[in-house]
Amino acid sequence: MSAHKSYPAELASEPFCLEQAKSANDHLNTGFELEPPSTPAPLPQQGELYLPESGNPEQPETTPQLELNGMSKPAYAINLASGEQLTFQHANTLLESLEGQGVDVQFQCRGGYCGSCRARVLDGDTHQVNEPLAWLNDDEILLCCSIPRSDLKLKL
Amino acid sequence: MPYTTFNRAEFDTFSQPMFFGEHVNVARYDQQKHKIFENLIEKQLSFFWRPEEVDLTNDRKDYLDLPDHEKHIFVSNLKYQTLLDSVQGRSPNVALLPVVSLPELETWIETWSFSETIHSRSYTHIVRNIVPNPASIFDDITRNEFITRRAVSVTRYYDDFISLCNFYTQLGEGAHTVNGQTITVSLRELKRKMYRMLVSVNVLEAIRFYVSFACSFAFAERAKMEGNAKIIKLIARDEALHLTGTQHMLQIIARGNDDPEFAEIAQECRADVIAIFQEAADQEKEWAEYLFKDGSMIGLNKDILCQYVEYITDQRITALGFDPIFDVRSNPLPWINSWLNSDNVQVAPQESEISSYLVGAIDSEIDTSDLGDFDL
Repeated sequence: MSAHKSYPAELASEPFCLEQAKSANDHLNTGFELEPPSTPAPLPQQGELYLPESGNPEQPETTPQLELNGMSKPAYAINLASGEQLTFQHANTLLESLEGQGVDVQFQCRGGYCGSCRARVLDGDTHQVNEPLAWLNDDEILLCCSIPRSDLKLKL
Repeated sequence: MPYTTFNRAEFDTFSQPMFFGEHVNVARYDQQKHKIFENLIEKQLSFFWRPEEVDLTNDRKDYLDLPDHEKHIFVSNLKYQTLLDSVQGRSPNVALLPVVSLPELETWIETWSFSETIHSRSYTHIVRNIVPNPASIFDDITRNEFITRRAVSVTRYYDDFISLCNFYTQLGEGAHTVNGQTITVSLRELKRKMYRMLVSVNVLEAIRFYVSFACSFAFAERAKMEGNAKIIKLIARDEALHLTGTQHMLQIIARGNDDPEFAEIAQECRADVIAIFQEAADQEKEWAEYLFKDGSMIGLNKDILCQYVEYITDQRITALGFDPIFDVRSNPLPWINSWLNSDNVQVAPQESEISSYLVGAIDSEIDTSDLGDFDL
């Protein structure tokens, strides 16, 4: 299976921009923002979307990364209660992202039903990409089912 | 009140607690008080598998080549797994069905128990493949004192609850004289016994099983008994779902939205919960000693398995909202995760009913607030 998925050309010129979506979420930002990148992001070459399959999902440059024209995925700062400062940008789930950045995360089923990757959200907002089956308290998420919607502070 | 297989009374499902309310009448799933149990049923059905699908021909050769002390580890572990699933294949039905009050929970209990019977069938499949006479292994389960000692601790809370519950369904609350013995039945005491039983079931599924999985996977890490490990992997996937089901029951009870009296009992039983977890961890460590009495195997010995017992006990008790007992933060058997990870269970979506492929799984409800952040 190819690691790349081609998108039709018209999609690349869609006016909807994830950057705008991020600024619309500014009220959700929680005060521990990312440092601005020191080098400008490389220009996108053509309309393709990277789908990580192996390797480090947060470092897609190790495999050629091509973004939709003029669009880069929003990056969110992830602060862990243990003090580690990470970013979420390319991964499909928070679990993949943290693993890619060398955090020792508990996991098991990766499908939302065992509850091993339960984490507490201390600050910020998340979106559930899959419905979790495991028991969760009000301030808890499953890392394997969630992505950030703002900068986050988590306790694993 | 006496058990009835079809309750004629009319009542509002949403006003019923999970247990000890009205007996269930129509098995209907259009109204659900706790939708999670329906989700668990669907997930469990999508996991359906049969032991015969797994080829065990290489395991026979592997088994014959194992040194004696490793044969002891493998067979003892298998006997223990057989014991656990024999208990789980019937006990949730026998204990919980007479007092359950919600149709989705009733069906979850049946689905849960049924999948345990598949596990039992797969042990027979494994044993048939590795030894010429399966009876030599199965007969020992009721004779071997190390196994029977474990059977006592696994079934004690079940039997305790079932015996009092029988009097409750027959005679109701109050003091009764049965065969010259006075038996006092109170619903509160019955709920207390049920809560302890659910905790011990959670311990069985979430700790005891996992200790046995670790042993099965340790063989496969060395490319021995790999067919067996494939079956155990399917079993482990089911067990992860079952322990989630039990955690939901325990947490719903503890929250008190379901039955306020039961929540009080859960609060009173907090010390019991810690004691049950602690006792199980001690027993599992004792078992590890018996497993490795004649020697260790590469990758697993008594000390590492004991550390894993402590680690997994902490994981499970914190999931129920308790403080860890041992404070073991990192997994001493990190390789076990790749065996417990369902991504590695090979199933093609078109060959199995993955729930996200199910018809009607799309959420088609839309509300104006869903469009709130759209800008034109």
